[in-house]
Amino acid sequence: MHGEYKVPKGKLVVVDLERDGDRLRNVQISGDFFLYPDDALDALSASLEGAVAGASEAVYREIVTAAVPPGTEMVGFSPEAIAIAVVRAQQDEPEEGTDRAD
Amino acid sequence: MPTDMLDRWREQDWQLIPPTRLSASENLALDEVLTGRVGRGERKPTIRFWQWAGPAVILGRFQSVQNEIDADAARRNGIEIVRRITGGGTILAQPDDVIMYSIYVPDSFVRGLSFADSYREFDHWVIDALGELGVNAWYEGLNDITSEGGKIGGAAQARRNGAVLHHAAVAYRMDHELMGQVLRIGQEKLSDKGIRSADRRVGPLRQQIDLEREEITQHFIDFFRRQFGLTDDTITPDEQQEMQRLATEKFQTRDWVYFLP
Repeated sequence: MHGEYKVPKGKLVVVDLERDGDRLRNVQISGDFFLYPDDALDALSASLEGAVAGASEAVYREIVTAAVPPGTEMVGFSPEAIAIAVVRAQQDEPEEGTDRAD
Repeated sequence: MPTDMLDRWREQDWQLIPPTRLSASENLALDEVLTGRVGRGERKPTIRFWQWAGPAVILGRFQSVQNEIDADAARRNGIEIVRRITGGGTILAQPDDVIMYSIYVPDSFVRGLSFADSYREFDHWVIDALGELGVNAWYEGLNDITSEGGKIGGAAQARRNGAVLHHAAVAYRMDHELMGQVLRIGQEKLSDKGIRSADRRVGPLRQQIDLEREEITQHFIDFFRRQFGLTDDTITPDEQQEMQRLATEKFQTRDWVYFLP
């Protein structure tokens, strides 16, 4: 499942994930944002692994916010932007006949 | 914004690495090598102009391959897929269609600047150099260079080992058909731009001024030299060796390119 959110005046955040019962699995955050240091991405994605599915934006925002390593700079995006993309991904209904492999 | 920025530019003993034809992975590896060397004080602050051995599509550090490009279409067109160490968006770089440069400088250079301000600061001179050519350009958003004729470029930064790498791509010409085949530009990305067509977002320099790409590159170099001083330099054999090793062991590996599939 796939969700995107373009931060106004900022960058694009993309979330790909799977739902396994009431849990999120294989969460991948990507986009054209800037993140320092770059390995902080692992912590952001990992925070959502196994998180409850179907939750609100506020819940995901808190989960991600708590996982941002100290000293991390997120430029052009935010935990909020990731949370919006996570919610959108779960609203994603795959269209028939598309060749999207994700 | 610190008031002494112009002094900071002029204080550096800038070195020039002129356009040197390299493969995409070598170009990207060289950015990492030179950033490290400037950070460790083994090389003076440097500006490098890129040259390409062949067409490439360059993903930002955090972009997913599938989301940004049609890998089959890239292969069919003989376009190499690579990932750089800086964030930001995808660039389709054909050797004669783009002007790219990298600036490597100790991070004391950006002391007191926010990330957003530092982007503007690094490309300020290019905006002025374009102005001399009659192109009215300005910075938009965090990292875009735009003009009356449309968007013309974008920049990205990495910070590591005590140095900043700032590189920017300025579009000279654009193959819209090839871009349409290879790049996926989703509607969400355009949602706050108020425009529908991807084509209309861009205004490559060839559409705006009657100069060859090499002439514009030379003007950029001359302008930089005039403003801040510039010493001609080359890639050392040692740097070249490190670049080749890194190109093979990192930038050409599937693990790196498909880090986000």
